[in-house]
Amino acid sequence: MVYFKSSEELQKVLGGFFQLLGQHPQLGPKFLHSKLVVRFNYREPELSITADCTGSNVIITFNDTTKKPEVEMDMKADVAHEFWIGKINLLVALGRRQMIARGHIPKILKLLPILKPAHELYRQYIESFSL
Amino acid sequence: MSQFNFFQFGVPTHIVFGEGVASDFSAELARFAMKRPMLVCDHFLRESGAIGAIRDGLLQSGLHIAGEFFDVAHPASVRIVKELAFEAREQNADSFVVIGGGSVMDVAKAANILLTHGGDLVADYSGAQTIPGPLKPLVAIPTTAGTGSEVTQAAVLYDESQGVKLSFVDDYLRPHLAVLDPLLTLSLPPFLTAATGMDALTHAVEAWTSVQSNPFSDALAKHAIHLVMHHLLPAVIDGDDLDARKGMLTASTMAGVAFDHAMVGVTHAMTHAVEAVAHVHHGTANAILLPWGMTYNRDVCADRYVELASRVGITGKCDVDTIIQQMRQLVVELERKCGLPTRLRDVNVQKDQLPKIASLAAQDGTTVYNPREVDEAEILKLLEQAW
Repeated sequence: MVYFKSSEELQKVLGGFFQLLGQHPQLGPKFLHSKLVVRFNYREPELSITADCTGSNVIITFNDTTKKPEVEMDMKADVAHEFWIGKINLLVALGRRQMIARGHIPKILKLLPILKPAHELYRQYIESFSL
Repeated sequence: MSQFNFFQFGVPTHIVFGEGVASDFSAELARFAMKRPMLVCDHFLRESGAIGAIRDGLLQSGLHIAGEFFDVAHPASVRIVKELAFEAREQNADSFVVIGGGSVMDVAKAANILLTHGGDLVADYSGAQTIPGPLKPLVAIPTTAGTGSEVTQAAVLYDESQGVKLSFVDDYLRPHLAVLDPLLTLSLPPFLTAATGMDALTHAVEAWTSVQSNPFSDALAKHAIHLVMHHLLPAVIDGDDLDARKGMLTASTMAGVAFDHAMVGVTHAMTHAVEAVAHVHHGTANAILLPWGMTYNRDVCADRYVELASRVGITGKCDVDTIIQQMRQLVVELERKCGLPTRLRDVNVQKDQLPKIASLAAQDGTTVYNPREVDEAEILKLLEQAW
């Protein structure tokens, strides 16, 4: 199943969702509390999204090569979509090599409880897209 | 216990067990394309002379020892890994034979990444599933019965440049061959036998209650618990008790396979934090903290613990508290027999370090596998009791 037809569409959908998460009144502060810079490297189609949680706001950038992330996650864009809709479990995806995590693994794992409510948020969010 | 509808299980490590098998495993070596292994162990083992028979066996198998590396100090660190990889490359090694405990194995496993694929150890490979392809053959010969590293997909290394411990988790890190020779564990002193044995027990108990447990890991965890409960005290009391040594070595590897799939939980989270703050030996910290970790999970794991009754030697009716008490009793017995500490204060943990330990424990990666959410304030209370 190919959910995203182009990098532009991926940026619009997932990039938009990351921006929504960063500005979310409950979730945004939790991401900021992590003080992390995380980069998600997607393929098929290609795009990288960097979430910088080190300042007073979550800053989302695309194909950013200037920031040095503490954690990088590589995956197909379809895997990312299925993760956010709640179909794929991160721990299982890592075990099956559907995702690769570079850097300090505990820091990523500690984000998991924060992400729980984000799955429902994503399901609602994508209703306006024809995925 | 598992919350998943999915699991996978695989033991790519070929396991061979036998009295004296470490001095001749040529039949198993024939499975692997290795001609010039790098021999890795620590200075203590080298001076004990224990590696002589292994070296001779390798030579008689037709292998050429490319080089020998003994500078494996504790903790296993990125610097040592780089030194070993450099030496292995210089000596044109095509494989590793590593003899020792968990730290030595972790060093060799990580050096194998660099020897096989090159690159920067921390930037390219720290994390999960980062290794691009299979590694060169690695034979692991444990001399302790505790870590299970001879069958696991993980290596934990101290990175001097950042002052942190880094995890390397990858299917390809599992050794190709594990050679289990109980004779090699006969010389393990009582204290280390107890501490490493409690490490194995903790692996098994936490794999049993992990949210990622599965029927295969369960079977191994349950039998490993049975073996430890029956063989640890005899191995501590009489180091020459070969049956006890066999039981413990088997238990350790079985627990290793179990937690390699199911992972561990809150006891390890606290232990990792105690190691980081107060530099306490891993197995010793697990020994102290296992009954407290079980207490933390008591209400969500009651049925699961009670299922272990016959495995821990309880016959007839029993409840969850009886099981936890049985674990506590084992630790007390080990204190009596070999001086294994039972309190955090016994291992020089200062009371004012407990909040820092609780904070680190709550952030530890193992907490996501624990059946009960790990709460920092609750952990602090528990640590105060364990102190």
